[in-house]
Amino acid sequence: MKIISLICRSHEFRKQLEQSRSKLYRVAYSWCHDAALSDDLVQETLSKALKSAGQLRDHEQLNSWLFRILNNCWHDHFRGHMEMEDIDEIEDHRCVNPYTPEDAHARNQIVNRVRSAVSLLPLGQRQVLTLVDLEEFSYAEVADILGLPAGTVMSRLCRARRTLKDLLQELAPPQSAQVTPLRRVK
Amino acid sequence: MKQEQEQALSDEFLNAFVDDQLDPAEKSRTIELIEQDESLKARVCELRGLKEKVQLAYLQPPLPVHATEKSWLGGAPYRQALAASLLLALGSLSGWFAHNWTGYTSDREIMRLLQAVQRNDLGADPRKLMIHVGNANPVRLSTALDEAENLLAGSKRANRPIRVEIIANGGGLELLRAGSSPYAQRIAAMREKYPNLELTACGQTLRNLRARGVDVRLLPNTEIAPSAVDEITRRLKQGWGYIKV
Repeated sequence: MKIISLICRSHEFRKQLEQSRSKLYRVAYSWCHDAALSDDLVQETLSKALKSAGQLRDHEQLNSWLFRILNNCWHDHFRGHMEMEDIDEIEDHRCVNPYTPEDAHARNQIVNRVRSAVSLLPLGQRQVLTLVDLEEFSYAEVADILGLPAGTVMSRLCRARRTLKDLLQELAPPQSAQVTPLRRVK
Repeated sequence: MKQEQEQALSDEFLNAFVDDQLDPAEKSRTIELIEQDESLKARVCELRGLKEKVQLAYLQPPLPVHATEKSWLGGAPYRQALAASLLLALGSLSGWFAHNWTGYTSDREIMRLLQAVQRNDLGADPRKLMIHVGNANPVRLSTALDEAENLLAGSKRANRPIRVEIIANGGGLELLRAGSSPYAQRIAAMREKYPNLELTACGQTLRNLRARGVDVRLLPNTEIAPSAVDEITRRLKQGWGYIKV
C-alpha cells in the first residue's frame, strides 16, 4: 500500500509539474523575451525539480519552489553566457536601436509595447514585477523566491512601475495630429 | 490633515494596496481615503492599469519553435510507450534476422563438417570411399588429393586394401583436365603408386563445357560417369563412404 501511494504521489507530482510548465514559461518569457531561451529555462527548471523532488517538504509551496528554481536557472544561464558587473543593474535592449520598422509597427500594438517596456526594465525590477503581476505571488513569496529582503521587493516593484509608466509614454505611438489623413476626392 | 494622510500613502503603500498585500484593517482605511480623494484615486487607477497591461502582455507568450516536437514525446505517457515499443519491435526484428543470417551460414558450416565426418559412418564400408570435389578452388583440389593420398598411404602401411574414388564435377573438373590441371604430375605419380585410386569426371559437366565450345580433354584413365550425382548415389547404395571437400 505504501508503495502504491508513493507511486501515486510521484505521478501526481509529475502532473503538477507539467501543469506548471505554462506558468513558468510565461514568467521566463517575461524575463528574457526569447521563446527558445524561455523554453530551455523551463525545461531545465522542471528537470531540476524532478531530480530534487525530495527537497520539497510542503506541497503547498510547490509553486514558489518552482519559481525559485527558475530564478536559479536564470542566474546560471547568465553565469554561463554573459560577463557583467551586476545582474540587477543591467539594462539589456537599451543599446539596441529602437527605430526599426519592426519596432515602429510594434509600438502600435499595446501588447508588444508593454513587452518591450518590460524588457527595458532593469532585470531585478523586471523579475519582481512579473512575479507579482503574472503569478500574483505575495511580496513575502517573491522575497523568498528571489532571495531578497521584503523591503527590497517593495522598493523594486515601486521603481519598476514608475519606470514602466514612463517607458509606456515614451513608446506610445505618435499622435494622430502628425499623420495626414487621406481625403476623399469624390 | 488630508495632505498628511496622502503623504503617508507612499507609492510603495499604494502598490501593496493594488497587489492586495495589506491586512483587512489597512485595506478598508485606504479604500475610505481613496474615495475621498480624486488624485489618490487616479494614482491607484494608474497602478491597476499598469498591472493589467503587464498581465495582458503575457497572456499568450509566443510558443517556442519546437514546442510541437516536444509535445509529441513529452505529452501523453502512452505515446512514449508506443515509441519505446516500436523501437523494441524494431530491435527484436533486426536481431531475429541477424540470427537467421548467421544461422544460415553456420548451418552450412555444420553440414560440411557432418559430411566430412560421414566417412566414419558405421553403415559405410570403411574400405570404399568417394572424395567429391565440386569447386575449382586450388586449396580444395589439393585437399582432395591430400585426403586420398593419406588414406591410401595409411591403408598400404596397415596392409588393408582400400578403394578411393575422386569424383569431380563443376569447377572441380579442373583437377582432371589434361593440359590445365595443376596437379597432373602428382596425380600420375599417385596412380602409379596406388592402383586402387579411381578418377571419375562428371559427364554432365563435360557436356555443358563442350556445349559452350570448350575443348575438354581428361587425364589418362579417367572414367566418365553420366553425372556426379548419379555416380555418388550409385556408390552410396553400394555402401561406399562419402567425403566432400
